[in-house]
Amino acid sequence: MAAKSVIELWLWGGPSQLETFDPKPSASSDYNNGLKAIDTVVPGMQVHEWWPNLAKCTNLCSFIRSMTHPHFGHETATYLMQTGRNPGGGDVYPAIGAVVAMMKSKTYSGDLPPFVILTTAKGRFSEVGFLGDQYAPLVTGGNPNTAKFIVDGFVPLGGLTPKEIGRRFDLLSSIDNFGNPEAFREFEAAGKQARHIIEGDAARTFDLALESDAVRDRYGRTWIGQSLLAARRLVEYGVPYVTVNMSGWDSHKRHFETMKQRTAETDKAIAALLCDLHERKLLNQTILWVSGEFGRTTKIDRNPPWNGGRNHYPRCFSSLVAGGGFRGGCVVGESNETASLVTKRPVTPVDFLGSIYELCGIDPDGPMPNPAGKKITVLPPASRGGRLREIYA
Amino acid sequence: MTNTGISSDVSRRAFIGGSAAFAGLPLFGAVPQKQKDIASAEEHSLNSPWETPSGDATPPVLVRRLFLDLAGRIPTVEEAKEFVKSKDAACRAKLVDRLLASDSFADYWSMRFCDILRVKSEFPINLWPNAVYVYHRRIRDFVKKDEPWDAFTRALLSATGSDFRDAESNFFRATARRTPEGLAEAATLTFLGEEFAELPPETQKEYAKYFRRVRIKTTREWKEEIVYLDPSDTSGPTPVAFADFLLGPARDRFAAAFVKRVDWWLLGLKTPNPAHINIFKKNGFRLKPLVRVIALSGAYGRGSVTGGFPCRRIDAEVLDDMICDLTGAKRDYQSIAPEPFTFLPPDRRSILIEDGSITNAFLLLFGRPTRDTGHLSERHNEVTAKQRLFLFNSGKLFQQIGRITESKAFRNRPMGEILQDLYWRFLSRPASDSETKMLLTHFYGLPKGGAKWRFPKDVAWSLLNTREFLYQH
Repeated sequence: MAAKSVIELWLWGGPSQLETFDPKPSASSDYNNGLKAIDTVVPGMQVHEWWPNLAKCTNLCSFIRSMTHPHFGHETATYLMQTGRNPGGGDVYPAIGAVVAMMKSKTYSGDLPPFVILTTAKGRFSEVGFLGDQYAPLVTGGNPNTAKFIVDGFVPLGGLTPKEIGRRFDLLSSIDNFGNPEAFREFEAAGKQARHIIEGDAARTFDLALESDAVRDRYGRTWIGQSLLAARRLVEYGVPYVTVNMSGWDSHKRHFETMKQRTAETDKAIAALLCDLHERKLLNQTILWVSGEFGRTTKIDRNPPWNGGRNHYPRCFSSLVAGGGFRGGCVVGESNETASLVTKRPVTPVDFLGSIYELCGIDPDGPMPNPAGKKITVLPPASRGGRLREIYA
Repeated sequence: MTNTGISSDVSRRAFIGGSAAFAGLPLFGAVPQKQKDIASAEEHSLNSPWETPSGDATPPVLVRRLFLDLAGRIPTVEEAKEFVKSKDAACRAKLVDRLLASDSFADYWSMRFCDILRVKSEFPINLWPNAVYVYHRRIRDFVKKDEPWDAFTRALLSATGSDFRDAESNFFRATARRTPEGLAEAATLTFLGEEFAELPPETQKEYAKYFRRVRIKTTREWKEEIVYLDPSDTSGPTPVAFADFLLGPARDRFAAAFVKRVDWWLLGLKTPNPAHINIFKKNGFRLKPLVRVIALSGAYGRGSVTGGFPCRRIDAEVLDDMICDLTGAKRDYQSIAPEPFTFLPPDRRSILIEDGSITNAFLLLFGRPTRDTGHLSERHNEVTAKQRLFLFNSGKLFQQIGRITESKAFRNRPMGEILQDLYWRFLSRPASDSETKMLLTHFYGLPKGGAKWRFPKDVAWSLLNTREFLYQH
């Protein structure tokens, strides 16, 4: 059975592979800063010491330690990791979220848009590419970690009763008398759908107050914790693709201070999401993937102005996958003793995305609809290593 | 030679209505109509606020259309009333001339040319902020001074030098691929409206040759780049020779590609009107005389309910400006990139954002072009549920609408007058008798209290959500 939904946790800026899923405790402190790895519930599958919660549920997720591509710039790397294409040329391809949203639209009939981003768009390029605006993400705005998570447009207007809302729509339909409504089919259909969202209960999906305090605490009262909780509510509702864009991983300077704080929040949130999805029996139908656009240089740069920083590094980095047909408790690929080179089973962004498409029931070699009617496929051909079939359930 | 660049380019369902016959309508004088059309038009246009019995646009529709097309905004109440009440037979021509000479025309149309010329600082174009502002100013000058398109094309293709000082040199920098093929691809689309990838391989090779010597190097100044021609290789042709080719043997295609865009923008035509191409050539490849002729033509003056003029959803930037003008709302620009972070004042009009990398949530939602490739199809004018949801239900927007209707001066008038005021503001026309009657009946039927008090706000909210407000018609 194909996965129904995908949650993408995007770690904007490129997190270090060493302080996440590919720790190197036996390397010198020039590389690991004297920090350690810890054992997890899966024998032999270690994680960096800053991920104690994840260590308790590595049986539910797998690591890829041999991610690799050639782009050192954020935008080009992100474009490749999101679209599977190298930038340049006349076409701007859609990100995986828009493609899954389009392909799943045939079977998804919910009122919420099929592609939701918490809480801001990546911003440096358009997620929807050449696909129509229909598949552009709903970017929520707002902050889930506040008393009321306000998604503008979805929260009912202050003080209007359902009867008053209905009366106002009646007023609109008597005022809206221009031309022949039949000629404005797209406009009318969009209006009907929007009205359905306003008058139905789909928007309650964003109401985190409907969750118990215990559940909210489990994810952590942080932006990332409550965003992942919102993501769970969205896939529970049926939304095919949810992206959580988390910034703050571009740690050129003060790397270790930044990472310690970021990982503490993220560790708690990811572990809570994995366990929660598992307990609700949603994990087998939901893919979770966690990655940045690249990793970071492995030798710590102690010179000014970096003073203990790590720079962009795409040749070897790590990602996490779970659920939706991915087995847990596995490690794909290997890196050398300092995590700077892939030594076994390189995985390219095309292979990585291809695996997610495949488990979603989308053929990566199948045709990609496009406005110019060109003959193109969803992804370029897989590399020699191929998709991650060794960890398909 | 394929010539599919723009036609495949404009295939997005941007326009509604229009008829095949519309494209062939004569430019001047009375517009002939089939007997059947006249009958249906008459039936419909009995008291129609939008069309005369013969299917022509009424003055309120025309003034709104002219402002939207030539100034990128709707008229103010005073501007609309002045035109509608004018008894001057030449008022349309006078308005067109006034708008063509205005700064708004230069602002709005330079936005369109910046879309085509890919003016943005970040990925995948990477002009970077300084060059964006320099280049934008140059493009705006081209529109404002109505420089001939052939001369401007030559200037773009023969430019070398610093992106900070030699504005035209940014044409080569504003490309996703700075290879001979990448530059040829951009030039082919920009000047011939043709899709490079669809050209025969030998033509591709021939075009790419013109750009083989173009080089770009950095300087010690942050983000300054110098465009130059490789001095070590003086054998091959240069981009100037490509300009010679465009303005010589390819002159007709070059003119047609320009007119095609203008005809698409103003009339929703997928193929350019041959008469317009002649007018463009006769007037020295200048934009304004062409726009003037179209704006004064019979075809442009047709109604859109039965008269054949096609409707399209208003551009994201223009709609943003309209709503902010009406409600006093402030825009909230974001610029994650480029560094250094750029801040625009919240009252800056959206059509005036120089940099395609600077945006706001509204512009993203309503499909502003990304300026990645320069295709017209980068502009998404579809209507989506998310857009309508926002307009129906945005708390911020509803609050802003209240700023119009909740002031004492606004409310302290008879309801009939308030309704007329709102219709003029939003739709540039008076409410018809039947509309006024319907609304007053609705008002008197409301229970006392909140609903009655909120009525003007609900009417304003409704007007903002109508087809008549959201479409260029």
